[in-house]
Amino acid sequence: MSKYALFLGCTTPTQVPQYELASRWVCKYFGIELIDIKEFVCCGINQVNLSIEAGLLMATMNLALAEAEELDILTLCAACTGALAEAIEKLKDKATRDKVNEKLREVDLEYKGNVGVRHISRVLYEDIGIEKIKKEVKQDLSGFRVAPHYGCHYLKPKSAFEGFEEPDNPHTLHELISATGAHPIEYETLGFCCGGKVFPVSKDLVHSLMQKKLDDLMNKEVDAMVLQCQTCYLMYGEQQKEINEEYGKQYNLPILLYPQLLGLALGADPTEDLGLPLHAISPDKILTKVT
Amino acid sequence: MSKPERTSGFKEPVSISELDPNFRSEVIAHPDAQGLNACFSCGTCSAGCPIHEAFPEYNPKKLAKMVRLGMRKQVLSSPYIWYCATCHNCEQRCPQNVKFFNILNVLKNMAAKEGYAPPAWVEQTKQVMKTGIVFPTEANWVKKREKLSLPSLKEDQKKAKKIIELTGIDKIKPRIDSE
Repeated sequence: MSKYALFLGCTTPTQVPQYELASRWVCKYFGIELIDIKEFVCCGINQVNLSIEAGLLMATMNLALAEAEELDILTLCAACTGALAEAIEKLKDKATRDKVNEKLREVDLEYKGNVGVRHISRVLYEDIGIEKIKKEVKQDLSGFRVAPHYGCHYLKPKSAFEGFEEPDNPHTLHELISATGAHPIEYETLGFCCGGKVFPVSKDLVHSLMQKKLDDLMNKEVDAMVLQCQTCYLMYGEQQKEINEEYGKQYNLPILLYPQLLGLALGADPTEDLGLPLHAISPDKILTKVT
Repeated sequence: MSKPERTSGFKEPVSISELDPNFRSEVIAHPDAQGLNACFSCGTCSAGCPIHEAFPEYNPKKLAKMVRLGMRKQVLSSPYIWYCATCHNCEQRCPQNVKFFNILNVLKNMAAKEGYAPPAWVEQTKQVMKTGIVFPTEANWVKKREKLSLPSLKEDQKKAKKIIELTGIDKIKPRIDSE
């Protein structure tokens, strides 16, 4: 049985608890034990805007907290994954580590360099594996066509992920989707960013960015988009209606987080275990295909 | 700064007297920005940038060139430097391994110190000092978690507050010309 410190980040626990719910259910199903560390804080990715040093300190603080419990970190958010993994990469340099630790000592923490960070999808891919997932599938999802969306920080910077993925030609989410029996479609705007990290600065910019992907998918036969980051979810899931109102569009694409799709395949209860009714775009259309 | 600003201040000829010859070295002095000298302006960064595609005025190649020319004030006061979506395509694809994403962060840090930080990022810092995360603990979020039997949200985060104070970013003021 594997054991990880669960890193929730800022957005999932506050605004997308259904992602957390489904992730906890899936991990429990596969015997992955998740430990909650109350003192975890923001991963630091947004503080980087004002101070690279502040961002690194926040990230390292989290790493040190997990290290003190002798646990590796399991993340749900792509951006937290990227920020923490990048920090680990930077902290390999002793001078950088010493400088950061000097400040961390003021809050009684020290980072030694013995902690790993992996996104839940990566843990499922590497620890559980595609074959094992396939064997556990109980629901037939074969009629289900979905558009994978990876999330930038799940893939990049490549140097922070030990060669786990190919950022310009990613495959792990495709494989994880296939393992559930659903069909991952190919589409031109696969690599497009959700824009979530610029949303607090310019909503309009994000809306024009999002429409490129949504327009692309409007022309495809697709039941849902499947993604693996709550910020991508908040953009594609919760901004569609706003875009419809502001730009006269008619988007109505259901969005699922990967653990929800996997949960459906494993026979989880869509409401109690996966929180599907909490989604802004009703996934009822999908559920009729499942049951 | 909600609407992307489409009026550009960069259309006039560049006046040498307004350039700051030290700007480039000031930027490159930061370890995260050292690669800038290797840039040969091929434009791969801009070609792969999703923000540039949606909003052409945001142009990584142009910003890199402006830094190298010493256009200090124009770069640091530009609203565009805050438009990066942090997708990392620019550094991922750069044939010279220039990490434009990191260079941009260095520029944003400098701009923030000079009073150009967007209010949203300043607000988030204040929030982190209170809850440890970038959001407040809203009552309906707390209730929703209870209903789903999820662990309660943390509040008071003394360590985060201390860390932020140590870096001094709690002193940064938001830009005045924005919303």
